[in-house]
Amino acid sequence: MLGSTYSLIAMGYTLVLGVLQMLNIAHGDVFMFGAFLGLTLAFLGMPLYWSLILAMLGAGIVSILIERFCFRPLRKAHFLGPLLSTIAFGILLQNVATQIWGSEPSRYPQTTEISQFQLGPILISSIHIIILATSLLLMIVIDQFVKRTRMGRAMRATSENQTNASLLGVDIFRVFTFTFFASGALAGVAGVLTALVYLQITPFIGIRQGLIGMVAMVIGGLGNLRGAMIGGIMLGVLEVMNDAYLTAGYRDMIIFGLFFLFLMFKPEGLFGATNRES
Amino acid sequence: MSVYLEGVLALMGINILMALSVYAILTTDQLSLGNAGFMAIGAYTSAYLTVKSGMPLLPAILVGALASSIIGLLIGIPALRLKGIYLVMATLGFGEVVRTFFMNFEPTGGAYGFRGPSGATLPLIYGWVLLSIFFFWLLTRSRLGRSLDAVRDDPEVASTVGLHVTLLKIGVFGFGAFIAGVAGALYAHYMFYIESNNFNFLVSAMAVLFVILGGMQTFWGAVVGAIIFSILPEALRFMKDWRLSLYGAVLVSMMIFRPSGILTRETVRDLGEWFGGMFRMTRS
Repeated sequence: MLGSTYSLIAMGYTLVLGVLQMLNIAHGDVFMFGAFLGLTLAFLGMPLYWSLILAMLGAGIVSILIERFCFRPLRKAHFLGPLLSTIAFGILLQNVATQIWGSEPSRYPQTTEISQFQLGPILISSIHIIILATSLLLMIVIDQFVKRTRMGRAMRATSENQTNASLLGVDIFRVFTFTFFASGALAGVAGVLTALVYLQITPFIGIRQGLIGMVAMVIGGLGNLRGAMIGGIMLGVLEVMNDAYLTAGYRDMIIFGLFFLFLMFKPEGLFGATNRES
Repeated sequence: MSVYLEGVLALMGINILMALSVYAILTTDQLSLGNAGFMAIGAYTSAYLTVKSGMPLLPAILVGALASSIIGLLIGIPALRLKGIYLVMATLGFGEVVRTFFMNFEPTGGAYGFRGPSGATLPLIYGWVLLSIFFFWLLTRSRLGRSLDAVRDDPEVASTVGLHVTLLKIGVFGFGAFIAGVAGALYAHYMFYIESNNFNFLVSAMAVLFVILGGMQTFWGAVVGAIIFSILPEALRFMKDWRLSLYGAVLVSMMIFRPSGILTRETVRDLGEWFGGMFRMTRS
């Protein structure tokens, strides 16, 4: 079930990477921001679907800020510029969140009735159903959006070649803004959903979740949305299998080991095109 | 010297070494976002040697740095095939693998951390810093330094004029890992205690930020970047709780307003002439 939230994060990375060929390292912290927004809204007594929508909006706006401050002024710079700028922005977000919500783990209030039911030998709780349904829905929406709508087509054109796209009348800055908004919104939803399961969140959860999302993207294949979805779900399964058969301590070692091996020996991932240039 | 000031200076020295280790690898246009991994290898190896087998500090630092250097060479070989963000992500993954390895590795304390290494003093740290700066200074004036410049500017041209690009690219990984290993060893023996989280992603990221913000064209940029951005969080203490947020904001705005870093080759040259001019004036 957690795998599907990894998929959402990985898709956010993929959108930005696909359109700009750049990595947004602050993405994990946008996720964290979304989680805290959801938390605050839940404390205010909002029902879950409202806090999901508002957290999406909020995280999307934070993500647009990242584009404005870290990517747009540095379009002509070396590719390291935006990359490092997002790391700095991540530090900023973590500390702002620490100021607002404190560095102690915050507990997520119980807003929805949790019911559990038996499906054959498996015990399923309603939270898991919500997570799975929401993520699947968003995956389909984003996937179809990029495939079928005008903006989606503009995104794909920009990703092929920015100059050509703008010559053909695509407003590439609008595409950037929209891409970052979508990417942030996905991270925001993932944040709220993860917070529902973990029940406690800190300003620093974004670091690990962001990295795991990156792993999911790489395993699925860079720049491939469906690959990112499958990569995330595979990682979720891998985590559960590891916790069931090995000690939980080895979990990250295995995940990052896999990440490293993939990049070294199969950088195009499972479903990616062969393109080793950045 | 107060304990506080000494602590700040010691960490600054270690940051300078970490920045130089990133710079060393960057001389051939390869970016490593996993130098905290090399640092961890140096730290844990040397700490194990001094605490568990009673080796004196200096040889332990060397062995730790060599161990890190060997791993660096091993990473350098497959890294040759990767470019741009692929290499960034691969080295990032490497750093996380090392960190999680030490988190689970029982002989060095696992998740409880490793207690006991001691003996690194401020003069020892700055001895290593000066030694490395001297080495880089020699390097920029040497044939080897020029070769590295050539590889960075255009690897294909460099190889047509007879430079062994592969060897140079792998070599700098080993060298960068060596310096990071020294930094880790000094860190362990200064702090008396290490745990795997001391070598997390943020440590690697900060080391890269020092270099980029200081200026990635000369090694002085790395040194100056490490000095300024080690002092800045302390200088911002008047901001109380918001200081780290402001620190992040300063970093972001630095990237916007001076993307090539504080020191470029031109500023170093101009400063050099300015200093030279001062000395000529005093002499005449």
